[in-house]
Amino acid sequence: MRGDRVSAYVWTWLGLLALLAASCASSFVPLGRLNAFVNVGIALAKALLVALVFMHLRRDRPIVRLVAVAGLAWLALLFGLSLADFLTRGP
Amino acid sequence: MKTAGAQALSTVRTAATRPRTARRPRVAEQFETAVQQRAAATLGMWVFIATETLFFGALFFAYAIARIQAPDDFAQASRHTNLVLGTANTAILLSSSLFMALSVRAAALGTRQAAVGFLVITAALGLSFTGVKLAEYALDYREHLVPLVDFAFDPRHARGALVFFGLYFATTGLHLVHLSIGIALVLGLAWRLLARRPGASAEHVAIAGLYWHFVDIVWIFLYPCLYLVSRA
Repeated sequence: MRGDRVSAYVWTWLGLLALLAASCASSFVPLGRLNAFVNVGIALAKALLVALVFMHLRRDRPIVRLVAVAGLAWLALLFGLSLADFLTRGP
Repeated sequence: MKTAGAQALSTVRTAATRPRTARRPRVAEQFETAVQQRAAATLGMWVFIATETLFFGALFFAYAIARIQAPDDFAQASRHTNLVLGTANTAILLSSSLFMALSVRAAALGTRQAAVGFLVITAALGLSFTGVKLAEYALDYREHLVPLVDFAFDPRHARGALVFFGLYFATTGLHLVHLSIGIALVLGLAWRLLARRPGASAEHVAIAGLYWHFVDIVWIFLYPCLYLVSRA
């Protein structure tokens, strides 16, 4: 977008690469089940950076942000309700 | 005489339908202003992205269930993916997003040549990703990891590993299809911008950018799910 500085994009890119390195490195540290949570957490952070800066969500109109969140809300429903089923089934 | 008349007629038509084309960007007839048109285009693209989120989301959910049911098989299977190529490809795709964002900015500022240059770099990085991914598929095939074609795995973990690699090829394949569409879109835009053809404005670059970044986000989640399940 017009208002963004080039440096904002370059810093975001460097941040993304740093998160990628952190994600890759963390997977070599034996944390048990925590590894998966670290990986998903870092992926969420990267996705948020891309959406907010590269896709301009941080400056876009509320209706656009609402649509972006709506997609995630439906996804949360899919995961939440279906996992509630799968995780509570007997053997 | 005849041609002159036809020419005059077409001039009249153009003037009637688009009275101020010289002063403002092309606006489709259902919109009052260019700002309104841009707002509608952005909103429409985000609605499409929301549906795509659910489209890929269902695959991620299938992955989650399969992994919960066979965690050890998934851990073993993930060790057979190529971490070096996967990580390099992630870096390539993240970099392509930087250049896409720079192109959107350049187009919005009206620096056409910079926008075209950044678009070409974006597409080149997209093509590099595709090349690396295809090479990786070839390696996977040589290691007998392709389900239904030539699959052989440690029998203790073969059941879950088969599901893992089924999902691996389904998700990365679908991602690759999306990326190929993106590359075609970006190259087409670059060419039309360069040739000053219609259908290539700052708005078009911005919309293509949203699509490109979304495809990048899909990979951001695929990377840990496929390559980093169990490396420790």
